[in-house]
Amino acid sequence: MSDTQWPRYQVFHQARPDRPHLNAGSVHAPDPELALLNARDVFVRRPPCVSLWVVQAADITGLTAEELAAGQWPERPAEPGRAEEPYLVFIKREARGTHEHCGEVQGSSPQQALQRAVREVKVSPALVYWVCPKRSVLASEPDQGPSLFGPAQDKPYRDQAFYHTDSLMRDIRRNDGQEPEGS
Amino acid sequence: MAEPKNAPAADPRLPAFEQRIGRGEKIEPGDWMPEEYRQQLIRMISQHAHSEVVGMLPEGAWITRAPSLRRKLVLLAKVQDEAGHGQYLYHAAETLGISREEMLEALLAGKAKYSSVFNYPTLNWADIGIIGWFVDGAAILNQTMLARCSYGPYSRAMIRISAEESFHHKQGKEQVILYARGTALQRRMVQEAVERWWWPTLMMFGPHDQASPNTPTLVRWGIKTKTNDELRQVFVNQTVPEIHALGLRLPDPELRFESSVGNWIHGPIDWDEFWRVVKGDGPCNAERLATRRAAHEQGQWVREALLAYSRRSGGAMAA
Repeated sequence: MSDTQWPRYQVFHQARPDRPHLNAGSVHAPDPELALLNARDVFVRRPPCVSLWVVQAADITGLTAEELAAGQWPERPAEPGRAEEPYLVFIKREARGTHEHCGEVQGSSPQQALQRAVREVKVSPALVYWVCPKRSVLASEPDQGPSLFGPAQDKPYRDQAFYHTDSLMRDIRRNDGQEPEGS
Repeated sequence: MAEPKNAPAADPRLPAFEQRIGRGEKIEPGDWMPEEYRQQLIRMISQHAHSEVVGMLPEGAWITRAPSLRRKLVLLAKVQDEAGHGQYLYHAAETLGISREEMLEALLAGKAKYSSVFNYPTLNWADIGIIGWFVDGAAILNQTMLARCSYGPYSRAMIRISAEESFHHKQGKEQVILYARGTALQRRMVQEAVERWWWPTLMMFGPHDQASPNTPTLVRWGIKTKTNDELRQVFVNQTVPEIHALGLRLPDPELRFESSVGNWIHGPIDWDEFWRVVKGDGPCNAERLATRRAAHEQGQWVREALLAYSRRSGGAMAA
């Protein structure tokens, strides 16, 4: 069944324009375009979502706080001929939390980008850093918003608050149950 | 990361690991963990993922026969959620070093376990309501507990899943309430559905604590925080009074309220039946697997087409 062992893409989900993109999980896909569609199906069945990013997991380089303290930088040298380019920086800020987009740095290799992220992106505590070249990210386009995220908006029946079972059951138990009305 | 098997206690990193769990910290994918912790989590999360995937089948069969457009939209959305939940969970298991393909292969080969309750048939529409109330209600109790578990990716998947499942639970309960207060035929349908699903739902919580060998380890490492029997009791206490208030009967002549402990006590569970179904001999085991295999085979051309498109457009799979 190796036919579906497609690359894994990390998915970043933005709930509101004024909020950062957060890591939602990952999907498998043969290319970034399908990764974006799969991400929509898996992570945006409900609002709110205004933007999605997908990045192949292999394009992300990570560094934990322990590795940083021990000076264990990941071995990811520059690709030959690769000029300095922008990298996105994601940081996991709390033990229960998930990675969030915290800024951008320039780098000629993932390692250099990580070094600059540690120095330049002021976030504390920073438990795990992730960097990826900006060119490796596929972002949903603003004009795709209605077709990608619109369908989640008009399905109120996906929300538990749509059903009034608690009050229905309360009424039934009050009227029919062991406590007769007026008692 | 491979640890010598059967020697986790000897590892000098174990005390620090257990202290982290004691402080309520989450263990994350890159962190050191005992091999048994990893294996237990892979076992639990993959079984859970398979349950979501196979769980689509008993209800999926009723989408085309929903009694109204509203019910059809709701059931479609619910089944689609289960597919998504399977994906969240396969993702969480993958962070432990197993591939999605290995898990799918184990499922299709009949080697993987999934919740035994999905091997029972859905005979009429009232079953859809009862599954939402009983089966999803039982699942939510388990998931709410697992949302507090010590492994970060599993815990986060459970938080998202629990929130979505409460829609599943309430849409089912709403249907049961309406049927219980409906026509004589509707009342009979829902009464029979209650009788069909009560015992399989109680079995969903798993064997009694004294027959559940994994539980102490799972509790010690913060994977589970309640035992099978504790969760089952919560479910029984929640459900019995509401079923009675609706004028429905549970198929258990020994069911009684024990006021000294404040619990509803159920009669003996037929564990022979449970093990028969778990081991593959339930009413629908063969049918469920055959449906999964057919879906996988019939989806082959879609995977090939996606791959061909990716190659042509220079995507990640381009040679």
